[in-house]
Amino acid sequence: MERPLVPIVTVPEIATVVEIREEIDEVKTFYFTFDNPEIEQAFRIRSGQFIMCTVFGAGEFAVSLPFSPENDRKHISVRRVGKVTAALHQLEPGDKIGIRGPFGNGFPFEEIKGKNVIYVAGGIGLIPLRSSIVHVLQHRKDFGRVVLVYGARTSKDLMYKNSIKEWKATENFETHFTIDRPEPGWTGEVGFVNQLVARLDLPVENTVAFVCGPPVMFNSVIKELKLKGIKEQDIYSTLERHMKCGIGKCQHCAIGRTLVCVDGPVYTYKQIKTLGEQI
Amino acid sequence: MYWLEKNQLEQLVKKLAKDYRIFGPRRDEVSGEVIFDWLENLSDLDLQASIPYNPPKFILFPHFEEILKYRYDHRSKKAVIERINLLEPKALVGIRACDLTGLLCLDRFFLGQEFVDEVYLEHRKKLFIISNTCVRPFPQCFCVCTDSGPGAKEGYDLDLTFTGEGYIVNCGSKKGQKLAEELGLKEAGPEASELRQKIIDDSISSFDRFALENKAWISRATNRLTTGFIKPEVWEYIGNQCFECGACSFVCPTCSCFNIEDVNSKTGDTYRVRTWDSCSFEGYTKMAGDHNPRKPVEDRRNKRFFCKLSYSQSKKYLRPGCVGCGRCARVCPGDIGLPNVVTYIRREITEG
Amino acid sequence: MPYLRGLCNFCGTGCGHFLRVENNRVRGVYPLPGHPLSKGRLCVRGWHIHELLQTEERITQPQIKYGDRFKRVSLEEAISFVAEKLKSISGQEIAFLGSPRASNEDNYLFGKFARAVMKSNNLSLSSDAGQEESAITLLQGAGWPAMLGSMERLRQADFILVVGGDLTKQNPIIASEIHYAHRAGAELVTISARKTQMAKLSQIHLRPEPGTASRLLEAMAKVLVDEGRIAADFISRYTEGSEKFLKYLESLSLQEIAHLTGVEIELIRTVALKMAEAESAYAFYATGIQSLDHRTMAALFNLYLLAGKLGRPDCGINPVTGISNLLGSYDMGVSPAFLPGYFSVEDKAAWKRLEEHWQIKLNPIPGKSVSACLSDDSSCRVLFVVDHDEEIIRNVKKIKELDLVVYFGAYENAFARLANVIFPLTTYVESDGTYTNCERRVQLSQKKVEPPAESRPLWEILTLMAKALGHNWTYRSAEEVMTEINRVVPQYAGITYGKLRTGWGLKWPCDEQHPSGTDSLLAEEMSRRFCFILNQDEKLAFLPRLQEKDQYPLKLVVGRSNYFWHQNSIMKKTFIPKREYNALLLLYPKGFVEISEEEARRLGLREKQQVRVVSEAAEIKLAVRISPDILPGMLYIPYFIDEMIPEFLHRQVADLEKNEEFFLPVRLEKVE
Repeated sequence: MERPLVPIVTVPEIATVVEIREEIDEVKTFYFTFDNPEIEQAFRIRSGQFIMCTVFGAGEFAVSLPFSPENDRKHISVRRVGKVTAALHQLEPGDKIGIRGPFGNGFPFEEIKGKNVIYVAGGIGLIPLRSSIVHVLQHRKDFGRVVLVYGARTSKDLMYKNSIKEWKATENFETHFTIDRPEPGWTGEVGFVNQLVARLDLPVENTVAFVCGPPVMFNSVIKELKLKGIKEQDIYSTLERHMKCGIGKCQHCAIGRTLVCVDGPVYTYKQIKTLGEQI
Repeated sequence: MYWLEKNQLEQLVKKLAKDYRIFGPRRDEVSGEVIFDWLENLSDLDLQASIPYNPPKFILFPHFEEILKYRYDHRSKKAVIERINLLEPKALVGIRACDLTGLLCLDRFFLGQEFVDEVYLEHRKKLFIISNTCVRPFPQCFCVCTDSGPGAKEGYDLDLTFTGEGYIVNCGSKKGQKLAEELGLKEAGPEASELRQKIIDDSISSFDRFALENKAWISRATNRLTTGFIKPEVWEYIGNQCFECGACSFVCPTCSCFNIEDVNSKTGDTYRVRTWDSCSFEGYTKMAGDHNPRKPVEDRRNKRFFCKLSYSQSKKYLRPGCVGCGRCARVCPGDIGLPNVVTYIRREITEG
Repeated sequence: MPYLRGLCNFCGTGCGHFLRVENNRVRGVYPLPGHPLSKGRLCVRGWHIHELLQTEERITQPQIKYGDRFKRVSLEEAISFVAEKLKSISGQEIAFLGSPRASNEDNYLFGKFARAVMKSNNLSLSSDAGQEESAITLLQGAGWPAMLGSMERLRQADFILVVGGDLTKQNPIIASEIHYAHRAGAELVTISARKTQMAKLSQIHLRPEPGTASRLLEAMAKVLVDEGRIAADFISRYTEGSEKFLKYLESLSLQEIAHLTGVEIELIRTVALKMAEAESAYAFYATGIQSLDHRTMAALFNLYLLAGKLGRPDCGINPVTGISNLLGSYDMGVSPAFLPGYFSVEDKAAWKRLEEHWQIKLNPIPGKSVSACLSDDSSCRVLFVVDHDEEIIRNVKKIKELDLVVYFGAYENAFARLANVIFPLTTYVESDGTYTNCERRVQLSQKKVEPPAESRPLWEILTLMAKALGHNWTYRSAEEVMTEINRVVPQYAGITYGKLRTGWGLKWPCDEQHPSGTDSLLAEEMSRRFCFILNQDEKLAFLPRLQEKDQYPLKLVVGRSNYFWHQNSIMKKTFIPKREYNALLLLYPKGFVEISEEEARRLGLREKQQVRVVSEAAEIKLAVRISPDILPGMLYIPYFIDEMIPEFLHRQVADLEKNEEFFLPVRLEKVE
């Protein structure tokens, strides 16, 4: 998949919110289509990239893309955390938003063909991984074992319940779900994600892992994966930073010598370790 | 090379003013201080004045500007987005070598990376640059340490060097050449080139001992910064003195961090506003939610000096990010301008 | 020329700046290098004043409230509406709340309108009791109500003592001057319970228990006596009351004070002697919410007097004001205690003098402060408020019961919604006016942009209103008002717009003897002697509070932040400072209380845990923030978190103002 020749750089393209889904508490998914049919046709992304989304009258924010580069409805999933995302949550189907992008490097796809793939996500950390998961499943035969380990505080906090249902039924896709505390009716695992990772029989050789989640979960999972023998350069994650421009100019997302918006947001753990800042 | 008589300067500026808005150094009538400003009155131009207190950065990268305008009607769901026309021919007359170097850094950063910054490009498109050799260094200057003066090397359309009687004119572009020819300037022989070099050499030799001494130290500080071998106590000492005003970034000819806000006006239009920002602010990296990867003030100080001096950051400018203008030292409430930081690092190196 | 020379209008430092004006809008700001105090520096607030000056949140139309709705009216309509109502109002029934952000001319006419037109002396600024206290204390001791020393000589100082709140936050550029003086060789000592940035910049940081700073200063005075380091000649030539003070010092025990304050005797001694040895010694304290109480100010004054460090060009006690024209507002007599020029309201001759100047019979019965008018069951029916903060909302119930509330302001403000009539004012860049910084420097701010069509300077609206009430006011410009101030306010006698236009302002007193102003108070030029300030009866006033230890064992202090200014109603109209203000809150969205690590361990509290801070009068729920900057036994709340102010602090502002360093006895309770 090639990077689009011309991302929308300065002036946002107008898009229509066509459907809104409540995912979990404070998180909604917004499906959108571009008003300009040419853009709608030409808009291409890579898994792991992000866009800058304008909520008219409120401002702009960076958000990672959860949809697959191929045959998937365009959408974003956004937690309400600040003024702009709060305004987004007020929108109804039919409302317009502005979109610039896509920006950033994205997850490797061609390079990992033939390998085993492990996805480990915590809470809303599944959002940036979803795109890659769907994409890999769309090309299932090109990969070895594909495993998802996903945990959240409670069963209510699991993102993308529809996708999960689908994934559970997908052949050759090993899925493991866990919540922090037992709940009546819950049939999955109980405990933190790292504990589950420790227990599971995961591939190690010829394997890449994608890890996304809150800092505490992230660090503990990395520890387990390394214990199992997965190399630091084979563990990928995506960094979130305060971004204003998306094109490497405003410098808000600078970490040491890298700019998350153009050099990232996807980094290997080996790279992250050398950045010298917190996750 | 050409020769510009003292009294031809006015003619030159007047001619430029037909096509360009003229910016240049002028003296404030009460304080006597020099600022680089829009010259409503062309006779205010003062090329003999000392280095302006402000760099001309604001002309290409304003303190506060609207870059986009939109209107959204929540009822009819109609959105209209408009670009704002920022293109205006501007001439910078009498820009110093340090500031010109700074401007070239901005060029490389805004125009030369993966993406072109279209807003900056608009401001930059029709620009006429006349540089002015610093014949006399000023107390806070250290451009000799950062290879950015006192004479301009590149990036100008015309370059002036004052000899006491008139100006030696160097043409740096076709645009500049054309203007020189249209003005009918007298051609200067090879002796003008030698004279210019002599004036620059004289200027260099009159630099403060501090600046000349610091020359070697800046590169050693650069080494230390790049490798990260600077004790946390040094950053803490610097951090304690930081008043978090942001001035060092605002006055720096190469600092280009900005913030973006959408501002709703009473007319119903919203303006996307871009303003100067500084990495010394706590909220600069803070994200909505509850996470700030860069917290203590000394961390943020560290970031700025890293950006100005380290090798890895120099890649984006193809030179160090510091141009030796010394302004950060003059505006700092905490006395931690870049020269002082180099001194602290130097102290650490010599004391082990 | 788009860069126009001007002065910053945030805090009482009054820094010089250039404003970049384009198409009648202020598009940027740059520091002004020649300014004698700011010398080309600005703080984070000053660097963003242009964001405020082009905010969309302006009041641009005169409005009258009918029922619940505001109706836009013409200026004439609004004036005659108010004038009609005022005709049946007596002086006791109206109160005037002036603004420390308004110019001298506006404040002067506001006071004149109150006293001469409405015959009311209920005239004050809001909660800055610290400034009034400071003026009263210094008048008592030196007959001079403001900064005694010179900022321009500070860099040659040998010794600087900063008492109380954090100047690096309230007046960063003053703090910067102190820092530069320190770097040039001055010994810098800070006295504050909290480890402020000022303290971090100091060589010596004395951390007395909250509420005991005055005892610490008295102990230093005692050290000077014990070691024979008092300035005996100076004392006999220039002071009175020393015998009584020395006798009082005899009654003190250094051991007891060391125990009470928690500061070692040796350290007290060292600082006292360093001060006595210094050729040039200064002391600083902030007025306003972080101000000192009368007792601490008096102790500081007495200490410097005893050492002979007053009345000389290179020494002084320098109170620092937090708001641009706080000092000027008092100079103009916007106070229940003073007439213009610091004549006491008790002074019969002063009333007579004013009657002659104004050619009108005045009501010499002293009035009350606005908060007194609003908090008790007074007969107040009408309130005038100028460009003011949200703080007086603590009296919202009483305000809603008033017959008429008139608000004059340039910016939208929560308080304006409580008004019946609103007048749109110009901002300080839209009209001429003078502002007096904490140095006593009167500076002229000239008009730089055209105001919105309906906005007027306050003096103009008041002139029209006085005319509508049958008074023959004829002012046509702020400059004309200043010529009257020249006659009425002796300190301003020689301050003219002509002189101000071509220079860096004039430091009052500026009169025939001092046509170019006065740098510092000199003993030889004084018409009276310095007085040691002794209020024996107050001696133990703070002790009973400490005895409530069992119930309220912790001392809560409040403080400032860079990004806060004036209840933040102003700072919230900017972008970057607003973001910074919010940045601090992002981690603690419902506010926080700082606690030392030791105390947190003792109480079993962890970072971000919810706790209840309980005082005698109120309680508030906050998150714990563990900080290395405070002592065990202490809590700290930044005053700028406005969400907290109405809920908690406002109920006890009166208590806070009474206390040294404003501490409240509280306890912490875990929230389950």
